Amino acid sequence: MIRKHTILLAFLAAAAIGQAQGILGGHVTGNIAVDGQMSSADATIGAEDVPEKLLLNSRADVFYSNGGFSAGLRFEMYQNPLLGFDSDWKQGQGLANYFVAYSTEKLSVTAGNFYEQFGSGMILRSYEDRYLGIDNSLFGLNVQYRPVAGITVKALAGRQRLYWDYVESLVRGVDAEVNLNSILTPLQESPLHITVGAGFVSKYEDDESIIASANPEYRLNLPLNVGAAAFRLDMGYGHWGLQAEYARKGQDPSVMNNYIFREGEALTLNLTYSQRGFSTNLQCKHVDNMAFKSLRSREGQMAYINYIPAINKQHTYALLSMYPYATQTVGENGLQADVIYKIKKNTLLGGKYGTDLHLNTSVITSLHTDSLGGRGTEGYHIDWFDNGGIYYGDLSVEVAKKLSPTLKLVATYAYQVFNPVVEEPATTDGLHHNNIVVADLTWKVHKGHSLRFEAEWLGSDSRYDDVNDPRAGDWIMGLVEWNIGSHWFLSASDQYPYNDGSGNYYNVAVGYTHDATRLQIAFGKQRRGMLCIGGVCREVPASNGLTFSLTTNF
Amino acid sequence: MKKNLLSLLALALLAAGCDKIDPDEYIVYDGAVITWRQGSAIANPQQRAYVEKFTGPQCHNCPDADVTLDEAHSLYGDKLVLVSINHYKGMGTPFPGEPDMRTDGGTVWDHFYGVNGIPAAFINREKDHTYGSAMPAIKTDIGTVVAQTPSVAMEVDATADATGSNVTVHVNLDFLTTIEEALTVTVALVEDSLRYKQLMPDGSVVNDYAHNHMLRKVITGFWGRDVEADAVAGTQTSGTLTFALPADCQKANCHIVAFLSRKASRHVINSASCTLQ
Repeated sequence: MIRKHTILLAFLAAAAIGQAQGILGGHVTGNIAVDGQMSSADATIGAEDVPEKLLLNSRADVFYSNGGFSAGLRFEMYQNPLLGFDSDWKQGQGLANYFVAYSTEKLSVTAGNFYEQFGSGMILRSYEDRYLGIDNSLFGLNVQYRPVAGITVKALAGRQRLYWDYVESLVRGVDAEVNLNSILTPLQESPLHITVGAGFVSKYEDDESIIASANPEYRLNLPLNVGAAAFRLDMGYGHWGLQAEYARKGQDPSVMNNYIFREGEALTLNLTYSQRGFSTNLQCKHVDNMAFKSLRSREGQMAYINYIPAINKQHTYALLSMYPYATQTVGENGLQADVIYKIKKNTLLGGKYGTDLHLNTSVITSLHTDSLGGRGTEGYHIDWFDNGGIYYGDLSVEVAKKLSPTLKLVATYAYQVFNPVVEEPATTDGLHHNNIVVADLTWKVHKGHSLRFEAEWLGSDSRYDDVNDPRAGDWIMGLVEWNIGSHWFLSASDQYPYNDGSGNYYNVAVGYTHDATRLQIAFGKQRRGMLCIGGVCREVPASNGLTFSLTTNF
Repeated sequence: MKKNLLSLLALALLAAGCDKIDPDEYIVYDGAVITWRQGSAIANPQQRAYVEKFTGPQCHNCPDADVTLDEAHSLYGDKLVLVSINHYKGMGTPFPGEPDMRTDGGTVWDHFYGVNGIPAAFINREKDHTYGSAMPAIKTDIGTVVAQTPSVAMEVDATADATGSNVTVHVNLDFLTTIEEALTVTVALVEDSLRYKQLMPDGSVVNDYAHNHMLRKVITGFWGRDVEADAVAGTQTSGTLTFALPADCQKANCHIVAFLSRKASRHVINSASCTLQ
């Protein structure tokens, strides 16, 4: 990889010499992020000592653009990776991503590392998330062609990034999206807006010997080329909107599905209605055997080619998000309803300033399957009109109300049902039924200064288990946050499993922001749990000590 | 023109970008190698009926099928070459705590037929004639098959070495007519007197039901080994292979089954079986 970087830098230097005038006239932007952690052993919470004393995740992106030309590179360093990040990240440091691109009105070409998504990502989504430790960028060529307004055709080919290397497998894809209002004259003035799209992605992976059964003489006849196609529709009419996408994947025996030959499919529907002061959406999802990876035998969250969107609410409060839901790419059914309503001010319920209501409910279940056998078979049949056991359920009511010119209260009640089998590794058996109440009060002390108080309670029918699941049991949490002007903030918080647990998870933090630069230092204890972003999760181990974060943009 | 080219390109990508594996090829087994040499003429050529019967310990109608095929055996003797295969799902699964006699080879053959219910039986891998609820009719049809004049005469013998763990199998083919298509020979190990639970027609469970002709292992690949000789009338060829007898098989109860198939259709032309010497 280093040799490739040298070639790229030489290329950029040559370009600079050849077009010095252009380079000088271009724009350089970028960002830097440094996350650090120091942790020491604490037997009460299960935190282990960090032999390196200091762990660092760092990165710097630099982008250059000049007219239609652009280029960029990213330096990454994990010395060593923060707790919870895959240890494979520590295999190196250096220029991890780089690209050159040229774009005109009709054509865009990117060579090098690129991120791309077809539709909602059900057949292709290359993305990166530094908090999850995921970067599955493709290294290759990405071409976008817009022959006329309203039509976009994408074609790409590349190899997927895996930590500091690229997998041997090839990923190829084409996608086309057509806005019918742009190309059909009768629709140009119509209030009905329709966009349709279709994509196809194919993976080629070399053969490998996968034993079919206990008898090692039998092996699987693996498909080397695995294809996935998706069709999508996006309609809007007045206040209404409808998005639908259906994806189907060919035979793809993998470690994720226990090497069965069943084809995969997924369907998402999203119906929305929105007007001033009121909006709602209803979503449903069906996912069956849709783990699509560039490496068939790679477990975990790495090497995914696709992404299955989450349709449950992404909570931000600590106890509400204690049990985040990890999307089950091997199979799930889901429903979500979300309503946002603003009660007008100067009404009985709205009061002087009005009241915001946010209702959300979601339920996600496993598929109802009828087994046809294990590895080397079709795997199972499903019953489309029935569900398996519950994976996750969430009902939340949030009320946000300005009490006075200086006081604002956000109160939330949620009832959640959580099945630990959705996590890898599964923590405990049996459903957790949790009631959660959150009160969040913000007091503007005076201009530029505010105090925020947060009180949270979680009551659960699960029992605290410091070995298997230190989240279980009953919890209380308090937080005080002081925002001082536009630059500083101080906060102190504590989480405590008051009924049958042990250990206070206290945390104090200070932050400073100046222009596009932000520095935050925190000290305290981190409870073991899961961090999920959009249904993609990583484990967060217990820690005890200092963390700091520095980010800046230029 | 440009649009047509783009459409063709897209279709080519779609076609090339996705491999499709047939269910009966999900699992591969390279199997034992057959060494071919000059064979010998077979006196008294016989046409045999090769029957694959799909059964299961939790199938209450399967014991009746066993009775029917036992009767067929009494009628036709060694002209009936029978292999019993536990269905890969449902009623073919073992009772809890019982030995699982399903095999990978049996599952692959099961997928070949697309067996939906058991008992089910097929003569000479002719998919068009399934014997399920009308199992008794199979006796008449076996009689029809074995009355035919064979196009290929076939013999098999098997000898275990002194330790009893390695078995050498000889398959002798005598082509009586010319067959102008690729042929394969498949060799399998079957075992009698395997005793485990069986659901009976009256709903009771017999704990030590004697399961006979049970497929234990396909010794060649699931679809056999190519016959490396021209199938010309008047020629003979002999194949030899060696395999290790599975440790959980009782040599005294084991048989070797061999059958000659058309490679393309997998229809069985003739078959033979023998005990282990």
